[in-house]
Amino acid sequence: MHGAVAFGTLPSASEFLRLDTGVTMLAVPFLALLAMLSFAVGIWSLQRARPVDIALIAGFALAMLGVLVARSVTAFFLAWEAMSLVSAFLVAAHHERRNVRRATLTYLIIAQAGALCILAALCILALHAGSTLFTDMAAAATTLDAPLRDAAFALALIGFGSKAGLMPLHFWLPRAHPVAPAGASAMLSGIMLKVAVYGLCLVTLELAAPAPLAWGITLTLLGTVSAIGGVLYALVDRDLKRLLAYSSIENIGIVTIGLGVALTALSAGNAAVAGLALIATFFHTINDGLFKGLLFLGAGIVADREGTVDLERLGGLWAHLVWTAPLFLIGCVAIAGIPPLNGFASEWLTFQSLIAAVTGAVAPVKLVLLTAVAGLALTSGLAAACFAKVFGTVFLGRPRSLSPRERARETFDASVGGTGVLAALCIAIGLVPALTVVPLSAIAAATLHVAPLVQPMLPVLPISIAALPFAGALLAVILVAVRGVRRVPTWTCGSSVTAAAQYTGAAFVNPLRLIFAFIFRPRGRRHTRYLIDESARRFAAITLRLTRRSRIVQSGSLRLYLTYAVATLIVVVAVVH
Amino acid sequence: MHVIVQVLIIAALAPLLQGGMKLLRARLQGRPGPSPMQPYRDLAKLWGKEALLPEGVSIVTIAAPGVALGVALTFAAALPLVAHRIPIVDIIALAFLLGLGRFALVLAALDTRSAFAGMAASRDMTFASLVEPTLLIALLGGAVIGGGTQFTSLSTVVFGPASILAFAAFFLVMLLETARVPFDNQETHYELTMMHEGLTLEYSGWQLALVNYAGYIRQLSFFVIGAIVLLPGLNLAATIGGIVALAVAITLVETAFAKVRLFEVPQVLTTAFILAAVSVGLRLFGGIA
Repeated sequence: MHGAVAFGTLPSASEFLRLDTGVTMLAVPFLALLAMLSFAVGIWSLQRARPVDIALIAGFALAMLGVLVARSVTAFFLAWEAMSLVSAFLVAAHHERRNVRRATLTYLIIAQAGALCILAALCILALHAGSTLFTDMAAAATTLDAPLRDAAFALALIGFGSKAGLMPLHFWLPRAHPVAPAGASAMLSGIMLKVAVYGLCLVTLELAAPAPLAWGITLTLLGTVSAIGGVLYALVDRDLKRLLAYSSIENIGIVTIGLGVALTALSAGNAAVAGLALIATFFHTINDGLFKGLLFLGAGIVADREGTVDLERLGGLWAHLVWTAPLFLIGCVAIAGIPPLNGFASEWLTFQSLIAAVTGAVAPVKLVLLTAVAGLALTSGLAAACFAKVFGTVFLGRPRSLSPRERARETFDASVGGTGVLAALCIAIGLVPALTVVPLSAIAAATLHVAPLVQPMLPVLPISIAALPFAGALLAVILVAVRGVRRVPTWTCGSSVTAAAQYTGAAFVNPLRLIFAFIFRPRGRRHTRYLIDESARRFAAITLRLTRRSRIVQSGSLRLYLTYAVATLIVVVAVVH
Repeated sequence: MHVIVQVLIIAALAPLLQGGMKLLRARLQGRPGPSPMQPYRDLAKLWGKEALLPEGVSIVTIAAPGVALGVALTFAAALPLVAHRIPIVDIIALAFLLGLGRFALVLAALDTRSAFAGMAASRDMTFASLVEPTLLIALLGGAVIGGGTQFTSLSTVVFGPASILAFAAFFLVMLLETARVPFDNQETHYELTMMHEGLTLEYSGWQLALVNYAGYIRQLSFFVIGAIVLLPGLNLAATIGGIVALAVAITLVETAFAKVRLFEVPQVLTTAFILAAVSVGLRLFGGIA
C-alpha cells in the first residue's frame, strides 16, 4: 500500500457525473437473454397482467438494459438502483398481505446493503484509476495492489452475490420472488439474477482483472454450495413458485461454478479452458433464463386458473390445461438437464470445462474441481427428482382437492403464446446447441482478449442421444393406436380408487428429506427449518440485541447530543493533526 | 454399420444374461431353475397379450415404455466395443441419458395414481440421484488422467489398485441400477418392497414386454461397462470374460446377502462414493494407475 498517493487524483465533478454507455461483448449474452425473455413476458402479460404491472415490468426491463450498457460508475450505479427500486414495487404488488410487506422490506434492505458494497468496490477501482469510466478502470487494473484488488472483489462478491442469490446470502430471494406477479417473477428469476452475474463477470474479467487463483476457487466452491443447497430446498418445497425460486439459486450456482472455473483456468494461463468455461457460463445463464421464465409463466397460468400453487392441492391438470401442461413438461425436462433440451447442453458443457480444467491444475485445485464435479452430478440428479415431483403432482394423476371442480378446456391465448415462445427456444437451443455456442465462443474470446477459440463443437449431439428415445415414444403411441389398450381401474389391492390414495409430492421427496436431515433439520412431519436461514435469523437477532444495547447513548436530550457533536469535532481535529 | 451390429448383438443376448443369472441363482439355492431361454419366452408371451392401462392416464404413460426402450438401445449403441465414427454418448452424457429413461418411467408411475407406483418412483428417483456422483467419478478415471470424457478414455486406464477401487464403486452402482440385492429384489412380488418392479406395476401385456426388454438391454450394457472398468484395455475377449465373471459375482451376492433396510441404502452408496473418490485421488495425486 502506498497510501493516498497511489489513489491518483479524485475525478472532477463533471468527470464524476459522466453517464457513459456502450455495448461490450461481455454484455451481449445478457442483452440477448433480456430481449428474448422480455418479449415472451410481454406477450404473456397481454393476457394475464394488470396494466400497472405491465408498466412496472417494462420499466424494470429498461433499468436492466441500463445496467448492461452502463460504462461508467455513475451510470452503472444509477441504473442498478433503478433496477432494485422498480423490482421492489413488483415484489410489493400484493402489499395488502403481511408476508408480502415483510418480503419487500427484507428485499429492500438486502438490495441496499448490497448496492453499498458494489458502490464501495467500484469506488476503490475508480479511485485507483483516477477515472469513473469503465474503460479507464479496466486499463488501470493491471497496476492494482493485491490487497485493494482483493478488497474490491470481496465487496463485489457480497454485493453481486447477494443479488444473484448465492448462498449464504440468498435468504431474501425465496421470500421475494414468489410473491411478485408471475410475469415479474419470471423477470426477477430469469434476468435480474443474471444481471448480478454480469456484474460479477464485469468486475472479475474486466475492471479488476486479472483475477488471482483464490477468486476462481472461491467462486467454484460458493457455486457448488449454492447449487446443492438450492436444489435441496427446492426439492422439499410445496409452494410451486417458491420451489422455482430455490431452483434459481441452484442454477445460479451452476453458472457461478462456470465462472469460477474460467477464472481458475485463466490464472493458470490456460486460455482455451477458460474460454470453454466462460462459454458454459454464458450458455447456462441464457438457458436458465429461458426455462425458468417458462416455468414461472406456466405457474402463473396455473395460479390464475386454480387459485393456488400449493403442490399438495393440485393434480391432474393435464386433462384440462391442454396447452400449458405440455409446455410446462418441456420446461421441467429442460431444467432437469435431460437430453435433448437446452439444460442438458449447458450442464454438459460445464462438466466438460471442469474436467478440462482438472488436467492442467495443481493438486489442491484439482481437489476443488473434482468436488465441484461430484457436487454438480448430485445437483443434476436431485434436480431431476425435484421436477419429476413438480410435474407428477401438478399435472399428472388426479386432482388432490376434495371437491375438484369441472373446468373448461384451456384455449390458446396470449399467455400460452408467450410461454410457447420460451418453450420453442428451449427446444431449438437444445437440439442445435451450435446456434448458441458458436456466437458465444466468439464473445468469450473477445472478452478474454485471446485469439478466436477452437469452437467447442459438442462431440455429443443432443439429437443423436434423443433420436432413439423419441422414435421409441412415437412407436409406443402408434402401437397403442393400432393395437389398442383396455382401460381399467388402477390396482389398489382391491380397495376403491381414490384421489387421496395417490402419492403426494411431500411423500415423494420424503426419503431425500430424511437422508439430508442434517441440512433440513426436520421438526415433526411437516416443518422444515433451513440451516442457513436459521443462521441468518441468529445473526439478525444478535444485531438487534446489540443495537438495543447501544440505545443507552440515545437519551433524547439535546444537550447530550450537542456534547457528542463537540466531542466528535475534537477527535476529528486531533486525528487530522 | 458396426454400431448397428453391436446394438443387434447386445439386444439379442440381453435376455440370455437375465435367464442365465436366474438359472445360476436357482442352482445355488438348490432349485432346478428355469431354462436360460425363459426370458425370451416371457417376452414373446407378453408381446402377444393385450395391454391394460388405468383410466384417464395421459400420453406420458403411453409413451414412457418406448422412451425406456430407446434409452436402452442408445446406451447399447454407445458402448465402446467397436470404433464409433461419431460418438453418441460420452461418460457425462450417459448419466443424463439414463436420467431421461428414468424421468419418463417415474412420471408414468405418478400418472397411474397408484400409491405403490408412487412409492417405487420416489425410491427409484431418490437413490438414482444419490448414485449419480459415484457413477461419474468412478467412470471418469480415464478423463482425469487426460483421456477426455469419451468412453474410449477407459482404455487409457491400466489395471492396478486405482482401477480395482473404481470397479468396486461401479459394482455397487451396477447393483443399484440393475435392481439387484442388496438394493432391490427382482424375485419379490410384494408391492411394498419393490423398487424397479413397482415402478412398472401398472404396465401389462405388450407394454410390459417393452419395459422389461429395455431393462434387460440396459442391464447387459451396464455389465459391458463394468467389465471394461474391471479389465481396462478394450479387449473383446476380456470384456466377455468380465461379463461372465460379473454375472457370477452378482448372483453370489444375491444368494449370500439379504436386502438392506431402505434407509441404510445411502450408507452403502456413500461407501461406493468414497471408493470412487479414493480411486481418482490415487490416480491424480499418487500417480498410481
